Amino acid sequence: MNPWNVNRRDAMRLALSVSAAAGLGVVPRRAAAAGTINFADIGVGDPGGDWSKFKAASGYDVNLVSIGNAPSAVLNVLVASGGQGTYDVINIVGGMQKPLVDNDLVEKIDTARMPNWAKDTYVDEFLGKGKPGFQFIGYKDEIYGVPTVLQGDSFAYLPEKTGQLDSYAALFDPKWKGYVALEDNYTTAGQKTALYLKKAGLANIANPDDMTKEEFKAVTDFLIDQKKKGQFRVIWNSFEQAVNLITSKEVYVIDCWEPMVFVAKSKGMDVVYADPKEGYLLWAMAAYLVKNPNRTAEQTDAAYKLLDFMLGGWYGARITNLRGYMTNPQAATYAKDNPAEFPADEAKRVAEITANVRRKFEQGGTWQNRWPTEVEFYESEWSRFKAA
Amino acid sequence: MWLVIALALAFLYVPLVPSLVASLAGTRPGEWTLRWYADLWRTPLILTAFRSSALVAFLVGMLAPLLGLLAALAIRELGVPRLILLVMLLPLFIPGVSMGLASAFLFRLLGIAPSLTTIVIVQTLWALPFATLIILTAMTTFDPQYLEAAYMAGAGRWRAFRDIELPLIAPGITGAVSFSAILSINETIRTSAVQGPWNTVPTYIWSTYRQVGLSPVLYALMGLIIIATIVIVLVYLLLSREASRQ
Amino acid sequence: MLALEHRQQIAEPPFSARGRGNWQAWGRRILLCLPLIFVGIFLVVPLGLTVMISFWERAGLKFRPAFSLASYVSLIGGARLDVLQRSLIVALEATALSLVLAYAIAYFLARKVEPATARIVLVLFTVPFLINYIVRNVSYTVLLGRTGVVNSALMAAGLTDAPLDWLLYSDFAVLLGLVSAYMPFMIFPLFLSIGAIDRQYVEASALLGASPFTTFRTITLPLSLPGVFAAALFGFVGCLGESAVPIILGGVGYELIGNTITSSMDVLNYPLAAALSSIVILLMLLLMLGWYLVFDMRSFLGRILEWRA
Repeated sequence: MNPWNVNRRDAMRLALSVSAAAGLGVVPRRAAAAGTINFADIGVGDPGGDWSKFKAASGYDVNLVSIGNAPSAVLNVLVASGGQGTYDVINIVGGMQKPLVDNDLVEKIDTARMPNWAKDTYVDEFLGKGKPGFQFIGYKDEIYGVPTVLQGDSFAYLPEKTGQLDSYAALFDPKWKGYVALEDNYTTAGQKTALYLKKAGLANIANPDDMTKEEFKAVTDFLIDQKKKGQFRVIWNSFEQAVNLITSKEVYVIDCWEPMVFVAKSKGMDVVYADPKEGYLLWAMAAYLVKNPNRTAEQTDAAYKLLDFMLGGWYGARITNLRGYMTNPQAATYAKDNPAEFPADEAKRVAEITANVRRKFEQGGTWQNRWPTEVEFYESEWSRFKAA
Repeated sequence: MWLVIALALAFLYVPLVPSLVASLAGTRPGEWTLRWYADLWRTPLILTAFRSSALVAFLVGMLAPLLGLLAALAIRELGVPRLILLVMLLPLFIPGVSMGLASAFLFRLLGIAPSLTTIVIVQTLWALPFATLIILTAMTTFDPQYLEAAYMAGAGRWRAFRDIELPLIAPGITGAVSFSAILSINETIRTSAVQGPWNTVPTYIWSTYRQVGLSPVLYALMGLIIIATIVIVLVYLLLSREASRQ
Repeated sequence: MLALEHRQQIAEPPFSARGRGNWQAWGRRILLCLPLIFVGIFLVVPLGLTVMISFWERAGLKFRPAFSLASYVSLIGGARLDVLQRSLIVALEATALSLVLAYAIAYFLARKVEPATARIVLVLFTVPFLINYIVRNVSYTVLLGRTGVVNSALMAAGLTDAPLDWLLYSDFAVLLGLVSAYMPFMIFPLFLSIGAIDRQYVEASALLGASPFTTFRTITLPLSLPGVFAAALFGFVGCLGESAVPIILGGVGYELIGNTITSSMDVLNYPLAAALSSIVILLMLLLMLGWYLVFDMRSFLGRILEWRA
């Protein structure tokens, strides 16, 4: 009578095959077992699943949990859900100390517990107290984050279509109308636009890295005007999307991250990551020690060992090689000295990336500020831009 | 009409092609390889996420239809159909982000640590209205006189239900099972708020998609799922054809 | 009406079955209440929490209990209400479009096709959903882009000179994404309710001289309303809550309500996020109420109401 009718034998067969499929080697291993560090990460800090060196040194396993980098994702996971009672270390783009520390979610870092800390000269050079990058790892004169990755962002372009470009002005150049993409992020695209407007003398902005309401409103108005003229093809939201925009030649000029260019190049694309005269948007990732009420002293010890491991040469070289970011000063040397682990081409790549990012930091520009004073105003203005 | 169906199906199947291509593409342009499929077995992060997803989908695929069936019976028998229907539909009304956050708060208040259980709970809640509605749709056309007849013949409630009604509404139940499982394996936003130490395939995809790009190994997993599903569907169709021939 | 003639008392189970004790009836009742208890605990509490927090005040990065309309007031005239309005319109459009398509497919499968074939087709419609929705949506960008397969084919065929920009990152692409994501879910309930309509009604109507269209309008459509209700709800709710399709396929800064809620959480403005959610919940409740008032309950609960009617 009913065409979709399944008789009992059919149903049994289906149920059996489903349970067989689901039972296939299932019951996932218990992730939260003692002797495991729960490490929440946004994808960048995953050394290809290989934690064997850390395990050999500490006896602890690492359980990597993939989380989003958006502040909402990070904070929701810690504030609302039991994330705080679950995670030991959380590795995200830094600069989130204000919301994290003020909500009592992360602990102060005792740098003396990490032998590799003293060897990380980047801290003294760029990120230490009194340096402009301090906002990525410190708060109120204390250290809360361990720097795991450093990078300077600009934009990418297809030279065959545009010729050589050396200014953020290209993003707003009517010549590329409809062939430009920006990132959907007020602390990157918004801040780069501010840097451009300031340097070009188009707007009165004192600090692109911490704008007043009037200043950020000027930036938004400028972007809305550009949007209405049809300057932008799209505002991208993800790594994958940005790579596709480049490799498919959907856009010619794109505000993006350098590793996207590495991926596009590996696919045979002729694409250049610009060296803009206005400078770079500099930033760092930080690993925070979560204030986990359930953690024992031994577990905290192991968490420190993990943080120290992440400041070490092997992990740094591995991440630089996999993700295309600068990590720590030991990385390049380690890769060169251990050809058994890093073949010559990989060691060369690590050294090149490191040298290139260093150059950007020496050149300067503006430091990304993930939590500017007027962050709420930024967010509501950005909504206005998107809805315009 | 066949043309419309063919077009609609083509439109749904076309996006599977780029994933298959990406799963076979080598590191250099124009190079083809199966190494990502081999690498899949050496990528514990993705494998564990897949196992959790499969387990959760299985549990949600069992729980949601069961609760949905009970709810549909309750709508029929407890005398306040509108109210019960409304309550069962409520999970649909709350935007996913808010739902995730709110249930995370609740678990925290109740002292329940985030785990596979909390993931199963939020996903069951999400799938439940769908399961209920489908079973209800199947039930709306079931004539209660059949049950009356069964009672007249001396059958108890349970027997009447099992022997008369259940076979007739079975299509609704199998539909509810597959809907629930599909909703479960695609659910990201609620899950990520209560995932705790677990990854599921969608939370892993969402995180890597935004920050580092989808790895070819992940496309290999998608490729395997496509191939496995097609094989299972073919086998199932062959078996049921065989069965109907007998 | 035809369906009404069944409206009579349903007999109770015979005494032998009831005689086993009153506790059995109670046990049954409790069992039937399980789903309500489940939803009650895990939903009604979060729901109340959401509405409550929407009235709270913000204090720096935290918020404290109060009765403040600040979050609602801040919405007035802001961009977020535009987003809400757009979400409602887009969800309605996508649902209407999907409903027409899904109804046609379901009708065809239920009435004109061998049951075994219909089953195959239905299964085929669900298979793509085993692939993650992000991966699927990204694939559409590969196909619909300026250098994508569709534009290349159009240009090769000489139909256009330049790539069609509106295929991707446009309202069109969002609609397409939404329809492809939710239409297949809508076929199934429609198929169930159309397939179960007693053919004798249809034949009787034809014998009485009604045209096929009249028969459809007066018999098939009203009797399939439970399926239409379920399908419309699946589509509307799904589209309204969708957050991946707009950011992957939408144009410059295209957002739906879910995206703007997430964005307000990015700056820890939970009261605002809660206020937006509460408005959505209220709208949905109003829609349900409208449905109750406009349509007879019978039309979507069908024979279920005959139970001790």
